[in-house]
Amino acid sequence: MDRLPLTRLPLVLGPLEAPGFTILRSGIRWLVKDGHRCAPNELIAYCQLNLRRSGGKNVKLGDLDGDERTQVGLAARVGGRIHIRENVALGGYLNILEAEAWDPNCEICDLEPDADTHIGAVADAGRLRQILLSGRRVTEIAGAHSGLLPGWLGRSRGWWSEGGETPITLLSLGICDALALVLGEHNAFLELFAQIPQATHVVLHPDHPITPAAPVLLDQLNRTPEAFAAISKDLHDYLSRSTIAPNAHDFIFAGSLLSAMQKNPIMDSYNVILGTGVQRLHSAQAILLSVNAEPLGILRHRTLGFHLYIMPHHLAAAGPAIQAWLSSEFDVVLRTVLDIQKDYEALIDQVSAKTGAKLIVINRMSTSGREDVSDYSPFDKPLMNTLANVGAKEFNLMLHDIAEEREIFILDIDAIAAEVGGARNIPDGIHYGSEIQARLQDDLAAILDALRPVHA
Amino acid sequence: MYDWKLPEIVDGMASATLENVYIGEGDTLKAGSKLFDISVDLSSAFTQECPPISYFRVIVREPVHVRRIHFKPGQTMDVGAVVALFASDPEEDPDAAAERPVRIATAGIMHHAGMWTASH
Repeated sequence: MDRLPLTRLPLVLGPLEAPGFTILRSGIRWLVKDGHRCAPNELIAYCQLNLRRSGGKNVKLGDLDGDERTQVGLAARVGGRIHIRENVALGGYLNILEAEAWDPNCEICDLEPDADTHIGAVADAGRLRQILLSGRRVTEIAGAHSGLLPGWLGRSRGWWSEGGETPITLLSLGICDALALVLGEHNAFLELFAQIPQATHVVLHPDHPITPAAPVLLDQLNRTPEAFAAISKDLHDYLSRSTIAPNAHDFIFAGSLLSAMQKNPIMDSYNVILGTGVQRLHSAQAILLSVNAEPLGILRHRTLGFHLYIMPHHLAAAGPAIQAWLSSEFDVVLRTVLDIQKDYEALIDQVSAKTGAKLIVINRMSTSGREDVSDYSPFDKPLMNTLANVGAKEFNLMLHDIAEEREIFILDIDAIAAEVGGARNIPDGIHYGSEIQARLQDDLAAILDALRPVHA
Repeated sequence: MYDWKLPEIVDGMASATLENVYIGEGDTLKAGSKLFDISVDLSSAFTQECPPISYFRVIVREPVHVRRIHFKPGQTMDVGAVVALFASDPEEDPDAAAERPVRIATAGIMHHAGMWTASH
Protein backbone atom coordinates (compact mmCIF):
# COMPACT_ATOMS: atom_id res chain seq x y z
CA MET A 1 0.00 0.00 0.00
CA ASP A 2 2.13 2.83 -1.25
CA ARG A 3 -0.45 5.21 -2.71
CA LEU A 4 -0.98 7.89 -0.04
CA PRO A 5 -2.35 11.01 -1.71
CA LEU A 6 -3.65 12.62 1.46
CA THR A 7 -0.74 11.81 3.71
CA ARG A 8 1.54 14.57 4.90
CA LEU A 9 5.10 13.38 4.78
CA PRO A 10 7.53 15.17 7.14
CA LEU A 11 10.68 16.22 5.30
CA VAL A 12 13.98 16.24 7.19
CA LEU A 13 17.24 17.96 6.32
CA GLY A 14 19.16 14.72 5.90
CA PRO A 15 22.79 13.90 6.57
CA LEU A 16 25.67 16.19 5.70
CA GLU A 17 29.11 15.18 6.88
CA ALA A 18 32.49 16.85 7.16
CA PRO A 19 34.68 14.71 9.42
CA GLY A 20 36.62 16.80 11.91
CA PHE A 21 34.15 19.65 11.59
CA THR A 22 30.81 20.64 13.03
CA ILE A 23 28.54 21.93 10.30
CA LEU A 24 26.67 25.08 11.28
CA ARG A 25 23.73 26.51 9.41
CA SER A 26 21.67 29.66 9.26
CA GLY A 27 17.90 29.67 9.59
CA ILE A 28 15.94 28.12 6.75
CA ARG A 29 15.30 30.63 3.98
CA TRP A 30 12.30 29.69 1.90
CA LEU A 31 12.22 30.03 -1.86
CA VAL A 32 8.55 29.07 -2.05
CA LYS A 33 5.42 30.07 -0.17
CA ASP A 34 3.44 27.84 2.14
CA GLY A 35 1.14 25.70 -0.02
CA HIS A 36 3.44 25.79 -3.05
CA ARG A 37 3.17 22.73 -5.27
CA CYS A 38 6.72 21.67 -6.02
CA ALA A 39 8.11 19.37 -8.67
CA PRO A 40 10.60 16.61 -7.80
CA ASN A 41 14.11 18.04 -7.35
CA GLU A 42 12.82 21.64 -7.34
CA LEU A 43 14.66 23.77 -4.81
CA ILE A 44 12.29 24.98 -2.11
CA ALA A 45 14.63 26.45 0.52
CA TYR A 46 18.27 27.09 1.34
CA CYS A 47 20.53 28.14 4.17
CA GLN A 48 24.06 29.33 4.73
CA LEU A 49 26.66 26.82 5.91
CA ASN A 50 29.80 27.21 7.94
CA LEU A 51 32.23 24.67 9.30
CA ARG A 52 33.63 24.72 12.82
CA ARG A 53 36.72 22.65 13.30
CA SER A 54 36.07 20.35 16.21
CA GLY A 55 37.45 22.08 19.27
CA GLY A 56 38.56 25.03 17.16
CA LYS A 57 37.33 28.18 15.52
CA ASN A 58 34.95 28.53 12.59
CA VAL A 59 36.37 27.99 9.15
CA LYS A 60 34.81 28.40 5.76
CA LEU A 61 34.77 25.65 3.18
CA GLY A 62 37.50 27.87 1.79
CA ASP A 63 39.90 26.36 4.27
CA LEU A 64 39.25 23.17 2.42
CA ASP A 65 39.10 24.50 -1.09
CA GLY A 66 39.36 28.24 -1.54
CA ASP A 67 35.61 28.88 -1.49
CA GLU A 68 34.47 31.50 0.95
CA ARG A 69 30.73 31.03 0.95
CA THR A 70 28.78 27.79 1.01
CA GLN A 71 25.05 27.27 0.96
CA VAL A 72 22.84 24.25 0.87
CA GLY A 73 19.71 24.19 -1.24
CA LEU A 74 16.93 21.78 -0.34
CA ALA A 75 14.64 19.94 -2.73
CA ALA A 76 11.87 17.39 -2.25
CA ARG A 77 12.40 14.03 -3.92
CA VAL A 78 8.78 13.77 -4.99
CA GLY A 79 6.32 16.33 -6.19
CA GLY A 80 3.56 17.69 -4.02
CA ARG A 81 2.28 20.55 -1.92
CA ILE A 82 4.66 22.03 0.64
CA HIS A 83 3.43 22.93 4.12
CA ILE A 84 6.06 24.96 5.94
CA ARG A 85 6.60 24.20 9.62
CA GLU A 86 6.47 27.15 11.96
CA ASN A 87 9.49 28.08 14.02
CA VAL A 88 12.09 26.45 11.79
CA ALA A 89 13.63 29.86 11.24
CA LEU A 90 13.87 32.76 13.64
CA GLY A 91 14.22 35.19 10.77
CA GLY A 92 16.16 38.42 10.76
CA TYR A 93 19.92 38.22 10.87
CA LEU A 94 19.72 34.70 12.28
CA ASN A 95 18.61 33.63 8.82
CA ILE A 96 21.97 34.91 7.57
CA LEU A 97 24.37 33.90 10.32
CA GLU A 98 25.31 30.26 10.74
CA ALA A 99 24.33 29.74 14.37
CA GLU A 100 22.68 26.31 14.51
CA ALA A 101 24.34 22.94 14.31
CA TRP A 102 23.24 20.83 11.34
CA ASP A 103 20.71 18.27 12.53
CA PRO A 104 19.96 15.67 9.86
CA ASN A 105 16.67 14.79 11.57
CA CYS A 106 15.36 18.35 11.74
CA GLU A 107 11.89 18.47 10.13
CA ILE A 108 11.34 21.73 8.27
CA CYS A 109 8.15 21.09 6.34
CA ASP A 110 5.56 18.53 5.33
CA LEU A 111 4.83 17.34 1.84
CA GLU A 112 1.37 16.42 0.62
CA PRO A 113 2.36 14.19 -2.29
CA ASP A 114 0.71 14.53 -5.69
CA ALA A 115 -2.12 12.06 -6.14
CA ASP A 116 -0.23 10.06 -8.74
CA THR A 117 2.93 9.77 -6.64
CA HIS A 118 3.97 6.38 -5.34
CA ILE A 119 5.90 7.29 -2.21
CA GLY A 120 7.00 3.73 -1.65
CA ALA A 121 8.72 3.71 -5.01
CA VAL A 122 11.01 6.59 -4.05
CA ALA A 123 13.88 5.80 -1.72
CA ASP A 124 14.22 8.17 1.24
CA ALA A 125 11.20 10.20 0.13
CA GLY A 126 11.08 11.91 3.54
CA ARG A 127 14.68 13.12 3.30
CA LEU A 128 15.31 16.35 1.44
CA ARG A 129 17.81 16.30 -1.41
CA GLN A 130 20.65 18.74 -0.94
CA ILE A 131 22.35 20.88 -3.54
CA LEU A 132 25.54 22.38 -2.19
CA LEU A 133 26.33 25.81 -3.60
CA SER A 134 29.73 27.32 -3.13
CA GLY A 135 31.30 30.56 -4.30
CA ARG A 136 34.79 31.97 -4.40
CA ARG A 137 34.72 35.75 -4.30
CA VAL A 138 36.93 37.83 -6.56
CA THR A 139 37.80 39.67 -3.37
CA GLU A 140 36.65 38.96 0.16
CA ILE A 141 35.24 42.49 0.44
CA ALA A 142 32.85 41.82 -2.48
CA GLY A 143 30.42 40.02 -0.25
CA ALA A 144 26.67 39.97 -0.02
CA HIS A 145 24.44 38.13 2.39
CA SER A 146 21.19 37.69 0.59
CA GLY A 147 20.06 35.25 -2.06
CA LEU A 148 21.65 32.25 -3.68
CA LEU A 149 25.34 32.50 -4.58
CA PRO A 150 25.49 36.21 -3.70
CA GLY A 151 28.36 38.63 -4.22
CA TRP A 152 30.99 39.08 -6.91
CA LEU A 153 32.16 35.54 -7.53
CA GLY A 154 35.16 34.46 -9.57
CA ARG A 155 34.03 30.85 -9.36
CA SER A 156 30.69 29.26 -8.52
CA ARG A 157 30.04 25.60 -7.85
CA GLY A 158 27.06 23.40 -7.23
CA TRP A 159 26.57 19.68 -6.66
CA TRP A 160 24.07 17.17 -5.42
CA SER A 161 25.31 16.01 -2.04
CA GLU A 162 24.22 12.38 -2.35
CA GLY A 163 27.00 10.12 -1.25
CA GLY A 164 27.84 6.74 -2.68
CA GLU A 165 28.59 7.86 -6.21
CA THR A 166 31.42 10.11 -7.36
CA PRO A 167 29.95 13.12 -9.17
CA ILE A 168 31.02 13.93 -12.70
CA THR A 169 32.40 17.48 -12.92
CA LEU A 170 31.30 19.89 -15.63
CA LEU A 171 33.40 23.06 -15.92
CA SER A 172 31.65 25.94 -17.69
CA LEU A 173 33.99 28.44 -19.34
CA GLY A 174 31.69 29.94 -21.89
CA ILE A 175 30.04 33.33 -22.31
CA CYS A 176 26.36 34.21 -21.82
CA ASP A 177 24.99 31.32 -23.87
CA ALA A 178 26.85 28.86 -21.62
CA LEU A 179 26.26 30.83 -18.42
CA ALA A 180 22.51 30.80 -18.97
CA LEU A 181 22.50 27.07 -19.70
CA VAL A 182 24.39 26.30 -16.49
CA LEU A 183 23.32 28.98 -14.01
CA GLY A 184 19.77 29.36 -15.27
CA GLU A 185 17.17 31.97 -14.47
CA HIS A 186 17.81 31.81 -10.71
CA ASN A 187 21.55 32.17 -11.16
CA ALA A 188 22.28 29.12 -9.02
CA PHE A 189 22.23 26.03 -11.28
CA LEU A 190 18.66 25.23 -10.21
CA GLU A 191 17.07 24.37 -13.54
CA LEU A 192 20.12 22.37 -14.57
CA PHE A 193 20.06 20.28 -11.41
CA ALA A 194 16.31 19.78 -11.73
CA GLN A 195 17.08 18.37 -15.18
CA ILE A 196 20.10 16.32 -14.06
CA PRO A 197 19.28 14.41 -10.86
CA GLN A 198 22.36 12.18 -11.11
CA ALA A 199 25.54 12.89 -9.12
CA THR A 200 26.90 15.97 -10.86
CA HIS A 201 29.27 18.74 -9.83
CA VAL A 202 29.08 21.94 -11.89
CA VAL A 203 31.78 24.60 -11.78
CA LEU A 204 31.41 27.97 -13.44
CA HIS A 205 34.00 30.63 -14.13
CA PRO A 206 32.43 33.86 -15.35
CA ASP A 207 33.43 35.51 -18.63
CA HIS A 208 34.75 38.61 -16.92
CA PRO A 209 37.13 40.25 -16.99
CA ILE A 210 38.72 37.82 -19.46
CA THR A 211 36.61 36.11 -22.09
CA PRO A 212 37.49 32.42 -22.34
CA ALA A 213 38.53 32.26 -26.00
CA ALA A 214 40.70 29.28 -26.94
CA PRO A 215 44.05 31.21 -27.04
CA VAL A 216 43.32 32.63 -23.57
CA LEU A 217 42.59 29.14 -22.23
CA LEU A 218 45.73 27.72 -23.84
CA ASP A 219 47.78 30.46 -22.17
CA GLN A 220 46.13 29.75 -18.81
CA LEU A 221 46.73 26.04 -19.19
CA ASN A 222 50.47 26.50 -19.70
CA ARG A 223 51.20 29.61 -17.60
CA THR A 224 53.99 29.18 -15.08
CA PRO A 225 54.28 31.21 -11.86
CA GLU A 226 57.24 33.00 -13.47
CA ALA A 227 55.17 33.91 -16.52
CA PHE A 228 52.42 35.23 -14.31
CA ALA A 229 54.93 37.28 -12.31
CA ALA A 230 56.18 38.82 -15.57
CA ILE A 231 52.61 39.79 -16.56
CA SER A 232 51.99 41.27 -13.15
CA LYS A 233 55.25 43.25 -13.32
CA ASP A 234 54.46 44.52 -16.83
CA LEU A 235 51.09 45.87 -15.72
CA HIS A 236 52.57 47.34 -12.55
CA ASP A 237 55.42 49.00 -14.48
CA TYR A 238 53.06 50.45 -17.06
CA LEU A 239 50.71 51.92 -14.46
CA SER A 240 53.73 53.34 -12.58
CA ARG A 241 55.22 55.11 -15.58
CA SER A 242 52.03 56.02 -17.41
CA THR A 243 51.21 59.69 -17.78
CA ILE A 244 47.57 58.67 -17.35
CA ALA A 245 46.96 58.41 -13.63
CA PRO A 246 45.12 55.16 -12.78
CA ASN A 247 41.79 55.74 -11.10
CA ALA A 248 39.74 53.46 -8.85
CA HIS A 249 38.21 51.67 -11.84
CA ASP A 250 41.69 50.88 -13.16
CA PHE A 251 42.83 49.37 -9.87
CA ILE A 252 39.68 47.28 -9.46
CA PHE A 253 39.90 46.06 -13.04
CA ALA A 254 43.64 45.35 -12.75
CA GLY A 255 43.09 43.34 -9.58
CA SER A 256 40.31 41.25 -11.06
CA LEU A 257 42.31 40.75 -14.28
CA LEU A 258 45.40 39.50 -12.46
CA SER A 259 43.31 37.37 -10.15
CA ALA A 260 41.66 35.65 -13.13
CA MET A 261 44.96 35.23 -15.01
CA GLN A 262 46.53 33.54 -12.03
CA LYS A 263 43.91 30.80 -12.11
CA ASN A 264 44.06 27.62 -14.16
CA PRO A 265 40.47 26.35 -14.03
CA ILE A 266 41.00 23.41 -16.37
CA MET A 267 43.54 21.93 -13.94
CA ASP A 268 41.60 22.71 -10.73
CA SER A 269 40.63 19.89 -8.40
CA TYR A 270 37.89 20.26 -5.81
CA ASN A 271 36.59 19.30 -2.40
CA VAL A 272 32.90 18.55 -2.13
CA ILE A 273 30.91 17.96 1.04
CA LEU A 274 28.60 15.00 0.64
CA GLY A 275 26.16 13.19 2.86
CA THR A 276 28.95 10.72 3.51
CA GLY A 277 31.79 13.17 4.15
CA VAL A 278 34.22 15.32 2.19
CA GLN A 279 35.40 13.91 -1.11
CA ARG A 280 38.25 15.13 -3.28
CA LEU A 281 37.37 15.37 -6.96
CA HIS A 282 39.91 15.49 -9.76
CA SER A 283 39.81 18.07 -12.54
CA ALA A 284 36.69 18.40 -14.66
CA GLN A 285 35.75 15.57 -17.02
CA ALA A 286 33.73 17.88 -19.28
CA ILE A 287 34.39 21.50 -20.25
CA LEU A 288 31.65 23.67 -21.72
CA LEU A 289 32.70 26.41 -24.17
CA SER A 290 30.91 28.84 -26.50
CA VAL A 291 32.07 29.30 -30.06
CA ASN A 292 30.61 32.80 -29.68
CA ALA A 293 33.57 33.52 -27.37
CA GLU A 294 35.99 33.30 -30.31
CA PRO A 295 36.75 36.74 -31.73
CA LEU A 296 38.10 37.43 -35.22
CA GLY A 297 40.67 39.73 -33.61
CA ILE A 298 42.38 39.06 -30.28
CA LEU A 299 44.90 41.06 -28.25
CA ARG A 300 48.42 39.68 -27.96
CA HIS A 301 51.03 41.26 -25.67
CA ARG A 302 53.88 42.62 -27.73
CA THR A 303 56.73 41.29 -25.59
CA LEU A 304 55.26 38.60 -23.34
CA GLY A 305 53.09 37.02 -26.04
CA PHE A 306 50.03 36.18 -23.97
CA HIS A 307 46.52 36.74 -25.27
CA LEU A 308 43.63 38.72 -23.89
CA TYR A 309 40.07 39.01 -25.06
CA ILE A 310 37.88 41.33 -23.07
CA MET A 311 34.36 41.89 -24.31
CA PRO A 312 33.53 45.55 -24.88
CA HIS A 313 30.87 45.74 -22.17
CA HIS A 314 33.39 44.43 -19.63
CA LEU A 315 36.19 46.62 -20.93
CA ALA A 316 33.94 49.60 -20.35
CA ALA A 317 34.41 48.97 -16.61
CA ALA A 318 38.16 49.66 -16.86
CA GLY A 319 39.58 53.12 -16.29
CA PRO A 320 41.71 55.12 -18.74
CA ALA A 321 45.06 53.70 -17.61
CA ILE A 322 44.05 50.08 -18.31
CA GLN A 323 42.59 51.13 -21.65
CA ALA A 324 45.93 52.84 -22.44
CA TRP A 325 47.89 49.73 -21.37
CA LEU A 326 45.85 47.56 -23.72
CA SER A 327 46.30 50.05 -26.57
CA SER A 328 50.03 50.55 -26.18
CA GLU A 329 51.29 47.14 -25.09
CA PHE A 330 49.16 44.81 -27.22
CA ASP A 331 48.68 44.11 -30.91
CA VAL A 332 45.42 42.99 -32.44
CA VAL A 333 45.97 39.60 -34.08
CA LEU A 334 43.38 38.84 -36.75
CA ARG A 335 42.10 35.26 -36.84
CA THR A 336 40.51 33.35 -39.68
CA VAL A 337 38.13 30.49 -39.05
CA LEU A 338 41.04 28.18 -39.86
CA ASP A 339 43.12 29.88 -37.13
CA ILE A 340 40.26 29.40 -34.68
CA GLN A 341 39.98 25.75 -35.71
CA LYS A 342 43.70 25.26 -35.03
CA ASP A 343 43.37 26.91 -31.62
CA TYR A 344 40.46 24.61 -30.76
CA GLU A 345 42.39 21.56 -31.92
CA ALA A 346 45.40 22.56 -29.83
CA LEU A 347 43.13 23.09 -26.84
CA ILE A 348 41.44 19.70 -27.30
CA ASP A 349 44.79 17.94 -27.63
CA GLN A 350 46.40 19.68 -24.65
CA VAL A 351 43.40 19.25 -22.38
CA SER A 352 43.16 15.62 -23.38
CA ALA A 353 46.84 15.09 -22.56
CA LYS A 354 46.74 16.96 -19.25
CA THR A 355 43.38 15.94 -17.77
CA GLY A 356 41.50 13.76 -20.26
CA ALA A 357 38.52 16.14 -20.20
CA LYS A 358 36.18 16.35 -23.18
CA LEU A 359 35.10 19.65 -24.71
CA ILE A 360 31.43 20.49 -25.23
CA VAL A 361 30.95 23.52 -27.48
CA ILE A 362 27.77 25.54 -28.01
CA ASN A 363 27.59 26.51 -31.65
CA ARG A 364 26.16 29.74 -33.06
CA MET A 365 22.68 30.63 -34.21
CA SER A 366 22.98 31.25 -37.94
CA THR A 367 19.49 32.36 -38.90
CA SER A 368 18.20 35.59 -37.43
CA GLY A 369 14.90 35.55 -39.27
CA ARG A 370 15.30 39.25 -39.96
CA GLU A 371 17.01 39.25 -43.33
CA ASP A 372 15.51 39.95 -46.70
CA VAL A 373 18.60 39.88 -48.90
CA SER A 374 18.03 38.91 -52.51
CA ASP A 375 21.37 40.06 -53.93
CA TYR A 376 24.72 39.36 -52.28
CA SER A 377 26.80 41.59 -54.57
CA PRO A 378 26.77 44.59 -52.16
CA PHE A 379 28.47 42.47 -49.52
CA ASP A 380 32.26 42.33 -49.46
CA LYS A 381 33.87 38.98 -50.03
CA PRO A 382 34.59 36.61 -48.42
CA LEU A 383 30.98 36.67 -47.31
CA MET A 384 31.81 34.91 -44.04
CA ASN A 385 33.74 38.00 -42.95
CA THR A 386 30.84 40.29 -43.83
CA LEU A 387 27.52 38.57 -43.35
CA ALA A 388 26.90 37.51 -39.75
CA ASN A 389 24.75 34.54 -40.75
CA VAL A 390 27.31 33.21 -43.21
CA GLY A 391 30.04 33.70 -40.61
CA ALA A 392 27.99 31.75 -38.07
CA LYS A 393 27.52 28.89 -40.54
CA GLU A 394 31.28 28.79 -41.17
CA PHE A 395 31.91 28.58 -37.42
CA ASN A 396 29.41 25.77 -37.08
CA LEU A 397 30.91 23.86 -40.00
CA MET A 398 34.35 24.33 -38.43
CA LEU A 399 33.13 22.53 -35.31
CA HIS A 400 31.92 19.63 -37.45
CA ASP A 401 35.30 19.52 -39.20
CA ILE A 402 36.98 19.26 -35.81
CA ALA A 403 34.56 16.52 -34.77
CA GLU A 404 35.66 14.47 -37.78
CA GLU A 405 39.15 14.11 -36.33
CA ARG A 406 38.79 14.66 -32.60
CA GLU A 407 36.33 13.90 -29.82
CA ILE A 408 34.26 17.01 -29.28
CA PHE A 409 30.59 17.36 -28.40
CA ILE A 410 28.50 20.06 -30.08
CA LEU A 411 25.47 21.60 -28.42
CA ASP A 412 23.50 22.56 -31.51
CA ILE A 413 21.71 25.77 -30.59
CA ASP A 414 21.48 26.54 -34.29
CA ALA A 415 19.28 23.52 -34.90
CA ILE A 416 17.21 24.13 -31.77
CA ALA A 417 16.66 27.77 -32.74
CA ALA A 418 15.59 26.72 -36.21
CA GLU A 419 13.04 24.34 -34.68
CA VAL A 420 11.53 26.67 -32.08
CA GLY A 421 12.05 30.04 -33.80
CA GLY A 422 15.28 32.00 -33.47
CA ALA A 423 13.92 35.54 -33.76
CA ARG A 424 11.44 34.95 -30.94
CA ASN A 425 13.51 32.76 -28.65
CA ILE A 426 16.99 34.25 -29.20
CA PRO A 427 16.10 37.82 -30.12
CA ASP A 428 19.66 39.12 -29.93
CA GLY A 429 21.40 35.98 -31.17
CA ILE A 430 22.94 35.13 -27.78
CA HIS A 431 20.44 35.27 -24.94
CA TYR A 432 17.62 32.75 -25.05
CA GLY A 433 14.40 31.89 -23.29
CA SER A 434 13.43 28.93 -21.15
CA GLU A 435 12.36 26.71 -24.05
CA ILE A 436 15.81 26.75 -25.64
CA GLN A 437 17.44 26.59 -22.20
CA ALA A 438 15.53 23.39 -21.38
CA ARG A 439 16.37 21.84 -24.77
CA LEU A 440 20.05 22.62 -24.32
CA GLN A 441 19.99 21.23 -20.78
CA ASP A 442 18.42 18.02 -22.11
CA ASP A 443 21.18 17.66 -24.67
CA LEU A 444 23.86 18.51 -22.09
CA ALA A 445 22.44 15.91 -19.70
CA ALA A 446 22.68 13.28 -22.44
CA ILE A 447 26.33 14.19 -23.11
CA LEU A 448 27.18 14.01 -19.41
CA ASP A 449 25.47 10.64 -19.17
CA ALA A 450 27.66 9.40 -21.98
CA LEU A 451 30.74 10.61 -20.10
CA ARG A 452 29.81 9.13 -16.72
CA PRO A 453 31.97 6.23 -15.67
CA VAL A 454 30.22 2.93 -16.09
CA HIS A 455 29.88 1.06 -12.79
CA ALA A 456 29.85 -2.69 -12.83
CA MET B 1 10.32 61.52 -52.82
CA TYR B 2 11.07 58.33 -50.96
CA ASP B 3 12.34 58.25 -47.41
CA TRP B 4 14.20 55.75 -45.28
CA LYS B 5 13.15 55.90 -41.67
CA LEU B 6 15.08 53.83 -39.16
CA PRO B 7 12.91 50.74 -38.68
CA GLU B 8 12.68 48.51 -35.62
CA ILE B 9 15.07 45.91 -36.98
CA VAL B 10 15.24 44.10 -33.65
CA ASP B 11 12.14 43.90 -31.48
CA GLY B 12 12.26 46.54 -28.76
CA MET B 13 15.20 48.53 -30.11
CA ALA B 14 14.94 52.27 -29.54
CA SER B 15 17.83 53.63 -31.57
CA ALA B 16 20.86 52.79 -33.68
CA THR B 17 24.27 54.29 -34.38
CA LEU B 18 25.23 55.21 -37.91
CA GLU B 19 28.52 53.40 -38.61
CA ASN B 20 29.16 53.94 -42.32
CA VAL B 21 27.62 56.08 -45.02
CA TYR B 22 28.39 54.72 -48.49
CA ILE B 23 26.51 57.38 -50.43
CA GLY B 24 26.55 61.15 -50.87
CA GLU B 25 23.85 63.69 -51.64
CA GLY B 26 23.41 63.91 -55.41
CA ASP B 27 24.59 60.35 -56.06
CA THR B 28 22.74 58.19 -58.52
CA LEU B 29 22.33 54.67 -57.23
CA LYS B 30 21.49 51.46 -58.96
CA ALA B 31 19.52 48.67 -57.30
CA GLY B 32 21.75 46.72 -54.94
CA SER B 33 23.87 49.72 -53.87
CA LYS B 34 25.13 49.91 -50.30
CA LEU B 35 23.57 52.74 -48.29
CA PHE B 36 24.59 52.47 -44.66
CA ASP B 37 26.02 50.24 -41.96
CA ILE B 38 24.36 50.71 -38.61
CA SER B 39 24.79 49.21 -35.17
CA VAL B 40 22.11 48.43 -32.63
CA ASP B 41 23.09 48.30 -28.98
CA LEU B 42 20.52 45.95 -27.55
CA SER B 43 20.98 47.32 -24.06
CA SER B 44 18.48 49.91 -25.27
CA ALA B 45 15.98 47.10 -25.73
CA PHE B 46 16.84 44.67 -22.96
CA THR B 47 18.00 45.25 -19.40
CA GLN B 48 21.00 43.00 -19.34
CA GLU B 49 24.59 43.35 -18.38
CA CYS B 50 25.78 41.79 -21.60
CA PRO B 51 24.44 43.90 -24.41
CA PRO B 52 25.43 42.27 -27.68
CA ILE B 53 25.77 44.87 -30.36
CA SER B 54 24.37 43.86 -33.71
CA TYR B 55 25.49 45.35 -36.99
CA PHE B 56 23.39 45.66 -40.11
CA ARG B 57 23.92 46.75 -43.70
CA VAL B 58 21.16 48.56 -45.54
CA ILE B 59 20.94 48.16 -49.32
CA VAL B 60 18.66 49.93 -51.77
CA ARG B 61 16.57 47.66 -53.97
CA GLU B 62 15.61 50.16 -56.66
CA PRO B 63 17.44 52.79 -58.74
CA VAL B 64 17.22 56.17 -56.96
CA HIS B 65 18.94 59.52 -56.55
CA VAL B 66 20.16 60.57 -53.11
CA ARG B 67 18.62 63.92 -52.15
CA ARG B 68 19.31 64.31 -48.43
CA ILE B 69 21.28 62.49 -45.71
CA HIS B 70 20.36 63.67 -42.21
CA PHE B 71 22.94 61.87 -40.08
CA LYS B 72 26.71 61.41 -39.91
CA PRO B 73 28.74 58.41 -38.73
CA GLY B 74 28.78 58.20 -34.97
CA GLN B 75 25.39 59.85 -34.54
CA THR B 76 22.51 58.09 -32.80
CA MET B 77 19.26 57.76 -34.69
CA ASP B 78 15.96 57.07 -32.98
CA VAL B 79 13.59 54.50 -34.42
CA GLY B 80 11.34 56.33 -36.83
CA ALA B 81 13.84 59.09 -37.61
CA VAL B 82 14.15 59.99 -41.28
CA VAL B 83 17.73 59.04 -42.10
CA ALA B 84 17.76 59.90 -45.79
CA LEU B 85 15.59 61.02 -48.66
CA PHE B 86 15.69 59.63 -52.18
CA ALA B 87 14.01 60.47 -55.46
CA SER B 88 13.45 58.97 -58.89
CA ASP B 89 14.13 62.40 -60.43
CA PRO B 90 17.47 64.04 -59.50
CA GLU B 91 15.82 67.47 -59.53
CA GLU B 92 12.87 66.56 -57.34
CA ASP B 93 12.28 69.00 -54.45
CA PRO B 94 13.74 67.42 -51.30
CA ASP B 95 11.30 69.44 -49.21
CA ALA B 96 8.35 67.69 -50.82
CA ALA B 97 6.53 65.11 -48.74
CA ALA B 98 7.74 61.53 -49.14
CA GLU B 99 5.21 59.46 -51.03
CA ARG B 100 6.51 56.12 -49.78
CA PRO B 101 9.50 54.42 -48.14
CA VAL B 102 12.42 53.61 -50.38
CA ARG B 103 12.74 49.90 -51.09
CA ILE B 104 15.59 48.47 -49.08
CA ALA B 105 17.03 45.17 -47.86
CA THR B 106 18.76 44.65 -44.52
CA ALA B 107 21.23 41.98 -43.43
CA GLY B 108 23.18 41.33 -40.25
CA ILE B 109 26.90 41.86 -40.81
CA MET B 110 30.12 41.47 -38.84
CA HIS B 111 31.86 44.40 -37.22
CA HIS B 112 34.64 45.68 -39.52
CA ALA B 113 37.58 48.03 -39.34
CA GLY B 114 35.86 50.71 -41.45
CA MET B 115 33.11 51.29 -38.92
CA TRP B 116 32.90 54.43 -36.85
CA THR B 117 33.02 52.42 -33.63
CA ALA B 118 36.22 50.69 -34.76
CA SER B 119 38.16 53.93 -34.34
CA HIS B 120 36.31 55.60 -31.45
